[in-house]
Amino acid sequence: MLPATAAALAVLAALLAWPVPALLARAGWPRRDPLVALVCWQAIGLAGGLSIIGALLVHGLAPWGHSLPEATWSVLTGHPAAAPVRGDHWVALTLAGVLATELVGVLLLSWVRTTRTRRRHRELLELVVQPAELPDARLLEHPAPVAFCIPGARPLLVLSSGMVAELDDAQLAAVVAHERAHLREHHHLYLLPFVAWEAALPVLPAAARAHVAVRTLVEMRADDVALSSLAGPAPRRTLAQAIVVAAGGAGGAGVPSGALAVTGSAVGARVVRLLEPPSPLPAWARAAALLSAGLLLLVPTALLLLPAF
Amino acid sequence: MASLGDLERAVMDRLWSAEGALAAPELRDGLAERGLALTTVHTVLSRLEQKGFVVHDDARPRRFRARGTREDHAAELMHEVLGQAGDRQAVLARFVGGVDADEARLLRELLAAAGPDDAPR
Repeated sequence: MLPATAAALAVLAALLAWPVPALLARAGWPRRDPLVALVCWQAIGLAGGLSIIGALLVHGLAPWGHSLPEATWSVLTGHPAAAPVRGDHWVALTLAGVLATELVGVLLLSWVRTTRTRRRHRELLELVVQPAELPDARLLEHPAPVAFCIPGARPLLVLSSGMVAELDDAQLAAVVAHERAHLREHHHLYLLPFVAWEAALPVLPAAARAHVAVRTLVEMRADDVALSSLAGPAPRRTLAQAIVVAAGGAGGAGVPSGALAVTGSAVGARVVRLLEPPSPLPAWARAAALLSAGLLLLVPTALLLLPAF
Repeated sequence: MASLGDLERAVMDRLWSAEGALAAPELRDGLAERGLALTTVHTVLSRLEQKGFVVHDDARPRRFRARGTREDHAAELMHEVLGQAGDRQAVLARFVGGVDADEARLLRELLAAAGPDDAPR
């Protein structure tokens, strides 16, 4: 007999593995408030991990006690199991261990890898490019209009000479504001868990879907932050123009570009959103979304920590 | 006091403008205005070698040259940025990802359709 807690956690894990991410990815409201949507995605990712590993743990430890704290205490103090330990208990415990190790391992691995690549990029930049007037910005000689930032302890903002040549001052300011928003809000950290989920469970379509959605939302959030700091008569249009120039030039100049299908639609969505801004989310809807995100985290935590009833 | 990064850039500039390989004393003399000790030059060179920017000939281990030109390194970086696959996006945040020609045309039409004047919405 499965403990009720394990069953509840398993149901939650199943919901978070497929229907919930599918619904959120298809929903229209996230583009109206990317930040709230990002919070919801983080809650889904975290609650998903908690509930699946928790369900396996609670089931595997069921012979030692009916709740996780009780069973863990029994195991740690060397008490014998109260009920016979069957094969499925061992399978559940093994799976929990493997999954937890894999998730944490992939997270660490992608952290180490991205840190190493960033450091190499930074070394290259600092050597190849003379520092500009701005201490954290570099101008790279290259015809393609490209702008990017390298996050980290010493962030760098990089503009290509092609980008500077093709944009006017207002558009350039919009690009810089967008990249600075990424750096200031540490958007790379929002992405990290979803990189790990996708690498750990490539068979789970929701993992890839969540990663794409979070990446798009992070860009939209950076657009929003950039808009709030831009002067000028029509900052939305200025930013949209900059995006179109950057997108058009990279394709037109015959520069190889990767990940077309994925980023392409996201770029279009950003431009549409800038030109025809959706109405902001009403306060009650924001509150409801944030409350759901909180509950989503609270439910598996409570199921794991509270004694069984 | 110049930072190490600053010195590395100065040494690389020397190596890039040099005809062939250079020895550490030549580099020190070339950078005379900085008043560097020979050990400092060696430290900078070994750091650059570790990072893969400088190599020395097997036949003449005391002479150093740049592994690639400045343009090579810029192109290498740009290649990685532009050719970045989706899963690498975590490394850096690019303003706009790669877009194919059709999509770029579509975006331009979108912008044109929104009207040339900046009517507030």
